[in-house]
Amino acid sequence: MKITKKIITKIEGEATLKIHKKNNIIEFAEIEFWQYRGMEEFLKNRPYMDACVINPRICGICGHSHLIATSKAIEDALDVKITKKAEILRDITLGLEIIQNHIKWFYLTLYPSVKSKDYFKALEFTKEISKIIALIAGQFPHNSYSIPGGVTCDLTNLELIKIKNYLSELFNKYQHIMDIEGKSNDLEELFSDIPKTTGKGLNRFLVLGDNLFFKSNGDVKYIKEEKSTSLNKNVMYKDKYFEVGPLARNLDNKIIKKIYETFTDSVYTRIFARLYEVNLIFLYLLEIIDNIEINEKNYTKPLKKSGKGIGVVEAPRGSLIHEIEIENGFVKKYNIIVPTQFNLSNSTKENPSPAQSALMNEDEKLSDFIFKCFDICAVCVSH
Amino acid sequence: MHSKPKVLWIDGVSCYGCSHSFYNYPQIKEILNKIELIYHPLLPSSEFKIQKSDLLIIEGALKNNFSRLDYNLNELISKLIKLSKKVLLIGTCAVYGGMFGEGILFDKDKEGKFYKCHEKMISIPGCPPHPEWIAYAIEMIIENKKILLDKENRPKEIFTYTSHMGCVRNEYFEWKIDADNFGEKEGCLFYHQGCQGPFTHSSCNRILWNEVNSKPRAGTPCFGCTEKTFPKKNLFETETFMGIPANIPLGVSKRAYLTLSGVAKSLKNERLSKRLIDEDN
Repeated sequence: MKITKKIITKIEGEATLKIHKKNNIIEFAEIEFWQYRGMEEFLKNRPYMDACVINPRICGICGHSHLIATSKAIEDALDVKITKKAEILRDITLGLEIIQNHIKWFYLTLYPSVKSKDYFKALEFTKEISKIIALIAGQFPHNSYSIPGGVTCDLTNLELIKIKNYLSELFNKYQHIMDIEGKSNDLEELFSDIPKTTGKGLNRFLVLGDNLFFKSNGDVKYIKEEKSTSLNKNVMYKDKYFEVGPLARNLDNKIIKKIYETFTDSVYTRIFARLYEVNLIFLYLLEIIDNIEINEKNYTKPLKKSGKGIGVVEAPRGSLIHEIEIENGFVKKYNIIVPTQFNLSNSTKENPSPAQSALMNEDEKLSDFIFKCFDICAVCVSH
Repeated sequence: MHSKPKVLWIDGVSCYGCSHSFYNYPQIKEILNKIELIYHPLLPSSEFKIQKSDLLIIEGALKNNFSRLDYNLNELISKLIKLSKKVLLIGTCAVYGGMFGEGILFDKDKEGKFYKCHEKMISIPGCPPHPEWIAYAIEMIIENKKILLDKENRPKEIFTYTSHMGCVRNEYFEWKIDADNFGEKEGCLFYHQGCQGPFTHSSCNRILWNEVNSKPRAGTPCFGCTEKTFPKKNLFETETFMGIPANIPLGVSKRAYLTLSGVAKSLKNERLSKRLIDEDN
């Protein structure tokens, strides 16, 4: 057996893959992250509101999810209820962040690991998505419009009409990437030389957030973080590893289910679920935007000064957890668990994490591709 | 035909928000077609190797004992700076250190590790910097145009403005009417909500974000993210001194500001003192 070390890049940072192989077949893979930025330490002893500015900066591609998880954790700690309107606006901006993420991931990260592809069409699309987020949140990336108690913006129907028209225009445009029946020329082209059954995970799925149309199938109290051999912490649910993300949270959709039943939890199914989720989000946003009562309040001021809380959201890559302890208005403790930690825990050959399982018994030349199908966010891991 | 300028884009300790911000530049394809992008941390490019470049773009901060592409980060940056003709620092992390470490040119308000190379450096701070600012800097550098810089190496054409300029809440600022709460169109965020617009060098309300909006327009205060002090503590509250904001608009004496505020407040603007929706005239 031979062990080769490989640095995986273009994943919002980098990871180290140590591949144990025999005749170019992967027997086992160790996944290491060697960067650490100390976000949680940085938050300590700051007024809790500062977390709404610091936390989006955890990540340039999914920072908005961190913002919403922050708001929810503080609201949980200080017993604040937000209005239906604020909730819908958060769903819209977070849904759009998921969409821009999936499109960038498919064309900028995943495709180049197999073949070259014009990525400008992805950027043309995602800049329009960012624009809709900006109409509500001020800018993208890195806004702080979601705060404990609601949102800072005060929209008029002018913006709502514009947002709705953008959404329906972009939904129609997306049909060229993957249509509502699940047909996608670009996806089929990507798999022209790769078997669709490649890279099976653990076939165990977990959903903890309940934003958008997602339904949680677990309780966050069963989550355990454990030290690993690198700076990444392993994450287990009831002492087992689970896959989180678009496949996990969309298994009840009949089109995704059909693909899953044919290829099980392979790389193809995972990618399909991610691309198809974009359609589901567009349709959901087009529906909920009509439920906004424009005269409803945007913000309710929190009154309590101390408490402990948890905020969970389904972020682009899966379940994201923020935990906070506030004392007299200041952050005493903060803990962040990101989706990539679930999917890419660095465990053993006997009890592998989803990504380790997907890599095992596959050809080494596909390692980059299989690894990246989980849509890794290295900066989130190295928070 | 001249060969295209070689551009190497390297990442320090970052969140990649600078790259993702640049992706929103509507004519990004035109810019990338003018250069040879020899390395980028996210965009498709060839394998990384330490090599000469016409322009080195750095996103992210320095940090001791931080590894990047199997090199020590600070040593890697040092080598790349030596091998490049011009260096463009994008983002507050690369310029001042921001929240992740030490900047390339400055370490907050002190000279940074590579200040000695300041003559070939241009600073585009911001967390993240506006896509148009990044595009401007790349174009100006590759076309060898003279950029007028301030003493922190920021292009004056972008940073001589304050983010206050062009803010749609300016009428409230003129009449010293503060916002009661978040989530309302009315009121200026400078008095209680911590807005740093009047003393932050940036053009966020002049060149809008994603071509449509800005944080203050969406009711969020300016956090001064282009400055060396970013991120200050207590970002959603205005620090006051004897009842007036401790940091006052650039270029005004405290005394002048106090006089002006008193006059504006006493000549109450009735229209702006109620919810706009309740106004009939």
